[in-house]
Amino acid sequence: MSVSRRLRGASRWAAVLVVLTICAPAPAAGQVFLTQQEALELAFPPPMSVERRTAFLSEADLSRADELAGSGSDVDQRIVSYYVGTLENQAQGVAYYDAHRVRTLPEAIMIVVGPEGEVTRVEILKFAEPRDYLASAAWLKQFEGRRLDADVSIGRGVARMTGATLTSRAVTSAVRRVLALHELIKPFGPTP
Amino acid sequence: MTALWAQRWSAACLAVVLSASPAVAQEDAADLTDRLQALEDKVERLGQAVERNAPADDTEGLRTQIEALTRELERLRLGQEVVPVADESKFGLGPAASRVYAVQQGVSIGGYGEMLYQNFASTRQDDLPSGRTDRFDFVRAILYVGYKFDDRFVFNSEIEVEHASTGQTGSVSLEFAYLDFMISDAFNLRAGLVLPPMGFINELHEPPTFLSSERPETERRIIPSTWRENGLGFFGESGPLSYRAFLVTGFDGVGGGGSDADGFSSSGLRGGRQKGSRADADDFALTGRLDYKNPHGVMVGTSAYVGNSGQGNADPFLPGETLGARTFIWEGHAQAQVRGLSLRGLLSVATVDDVPQLNALRGLVGGESIGERLTGGYVEGGYDVLNRSETQVQFIPFVRYERLNTQSEVPAGFSADPASDRTLVTIGADLKPVPNIVFKTDYVLESNDADTGVNRFNISLGYLF
Repeated sequence: MSVSRRLRGASRWAAVLVVLTICAPAPAAGQVFLTQQEALELAFPPPMSVERRTAFLSEADLSRADELAGSGSDVDQRIVSYYVGTLENQAQGVAYYDAHRVRTLPEAIMIVVGPEGEVTRVEILKFAEPRDYLASAAWLKQFEGRRLDADVSIGRGVARMTGATLTSRAVTSAVRRVLALHELIKPFGPTP
Repeated sequence: MTALWAQRWSAACLAVVLSASPAVAQEDAADLTDRLQALEDKVERLGQAVERNAPADDTEGLRTQIEALTRELERLRLGQEVVPVADESKFGLGPAASRVYAVQQGVSIGGYGEMLYQNFASTRQDDLPSGRTDRFDFVRAILYVGYKFDDRFVFNSEIEVEHASTGQTGSVSLEFAYLDFMISDAFNLRAGLVLPPMGFINELHEPPTFLSSERPETERRIIPSTWRENGLGFFGESGPLSYRAFLVTGFDGVGGGGSDADGFSSSGLRGGRQKGSRADADDFALTGRLDYKNPHGVMVGTSAYVGNSGQGNADPFLPGETLGARTFIWEGHAQAQVRGLSLRGLLSVATVDDVPQLNALRGLVGGESIGERLTGGYVEGGYDVLNRSETQVQFIPFVRYERLNTQSEVPAGFSADPASDRTLVTIGADLKPVPNIVFKTDYVLESNDADTGVNRFNISLGYLF
C-alpha cells in the first residue's frame, strides 16, 4: 500500500471519528432526550395551556405519601412542583418530574397523571447510566392506565426489564412515588 | 513517516472519543444536597411568612420569590441540562446576549462565533468568468460581557473581532454597550450604543438562531445588520406583546465625516451606519418595534425607522440650506416554530429623500445612484427531521426564497443598475449536535437582471455559549 493511500485511509478514519465525537452525547450530563419544556409540549400540546403550581407538604403529609407509595419508594421532598394541562378550562392531566439514581448515576423522568388518577404517559428526560440499561418506550407503555395499587410493582403488574433490573425498579418506584403525591395533593382542585 | 504520523493522529482521535465516557463527570452529590437543603429551607421560611398574613404589598413580592426559588430547586433536582435557563431570549436579544438578565448579580459572559467556507461558481449567469476566489473566513468571534449591579441596573455589551484580525478588512468593534434601568416587565429604560430593533437578524444574529450560512441580503442592505447607533429609549413586554422604542443618531447618508460612515450607495443603506464612533449628531432618528407572540411559537410584528440622514451637510442645490435626506424604513415579519417546523418571512421597504443632492455630494452618476426606494423580502421554511426521535440532535433541511432591489426607484436623470434587482434561492441543511452548535451547508443560486449573479456553495460552523 502506498504512503498516500494509507494517509487517505487514516484521514478518513479521523474524519469519521471527529463526526462521532461531535454527535456523541455530552458526558457530563448523561444523555438528555428531552428538556422539561419539550416534555411538557409532548404531554400538553397546543391548544392546551399549562399552569405551574407548587405544593408544600407538612411532615404528616410526607409520612402519609411515604406510606401510600410503599416500601422502596421513599418520598422525601416536601416541595413538589407540578404542571396542570388544561383545555377550555377542563384539566386534562398533571405532569410531575422525578429525579433519582439508577445505580450510581441520575435519571430524570416525567410522569403524567390523568383526571381519573391513572398514569397516561411516562417519558425519560435524562439518563446517565450506559444506554443498554435505558427503559424502552414499549416497557414504559405498560404504566399507562395504571393507578396506585399493589400491581404497580415489579414482578406483579410490571414486567421486569431483562438485564436492567435497577432501571425497572427505579422507574417503578418513581411512578409509585408520583401517584402517592398525586393522591395527597389532589391537583385537579382550584389553584392553592 | 507521514502515514505513521496520520495513524498516530487517528489513534489520538480514538482515545478522545473513548475517553468521553459518562462516568467522568459525576455531579458533586454532597454539594448538590447542601444547595437543595438550603433552598428548601428558604422556600419554607418564605411560605411561612406568606401564611402569617404578611402585608398585602409584601405578599406579591414573597410569591414571586417563592416561584423563583421553587424553579431553582427544580432545576437543581432535574439538572440544568433538562431545565436550561441561560438560553432564553430576552427583550429581543439572542440567547447568549440575554445571559446577563438571568444572573442573580455580578458578571456574565457569553459569546458566539462563525466560520464560513465559500466556494464560488467559476462562471456568472451570463457564462462569463466569475473571477471570484473561494474563501475560508473566520467571519466573527464575539464576547458578551454583562454586569448586573442589582435588580435595577444592568450593563450589557458585545465586543466583536471580525475576520480574525485588525489587518486587511478585519476589525474589532463594539456592537452594543448599554445600561438598562429595569422598572417593571412593561416599562424599562435603556441608554448607550443600542441596536435599532428592526427585522429578525439585527438583534438576534447568533448563528444557531437562523438557518442559512449567510444572513439574508434584505437584512444587510435595507436593514443594515449589524446596525448600532448611540441613543436611548424604552422597552418592555406585557402578556403576548413586547415593544422597544429608541431615539438614536441618524444615518450619515453622505459619509466622509468624523464617523465610520461611508454614505449610502446603490447597494443600500449599509454605508450610512455611524456605529457609535464619533457619530455626527445633527440628525437624530426614531425607531420602534411591536411584536405579538403566542405561547405556541408563533410571532408576528412590525418595526419602523424615520429620521434625516444629512448630518449637517449643506444642500448643494439650495445654498444656505441644510440637507435633510429623510430616511424611512418599514418592515413586517412573521415566524412560526412549531413541532420541528420553522417558518419565517419578512418584507421591508425603505425610502430616501433628496437623493439627487446625496448623489451630487457623493459623486455618484448614472447607474451608481442611491435608491429613492428600496424593497426586499424573503420567505423560508425548514423542518427538523429528527424532531420526533429520542435525540437532541437536530437536522434541519431548509429553503429560502429572497428578492430585493436596492434601486426600486431612482431620481430622474439617473438609471437603475439591473444588478441591483436580485433574486437569491438558498437550499441547505443545518446539523445541530447540541442546540447551541450548528454546522450549515447550503447552495445559493443568485441571479440579477444584469445576468452577473454568481452561485456559491457554503459550509459554515457556528456556536453560541
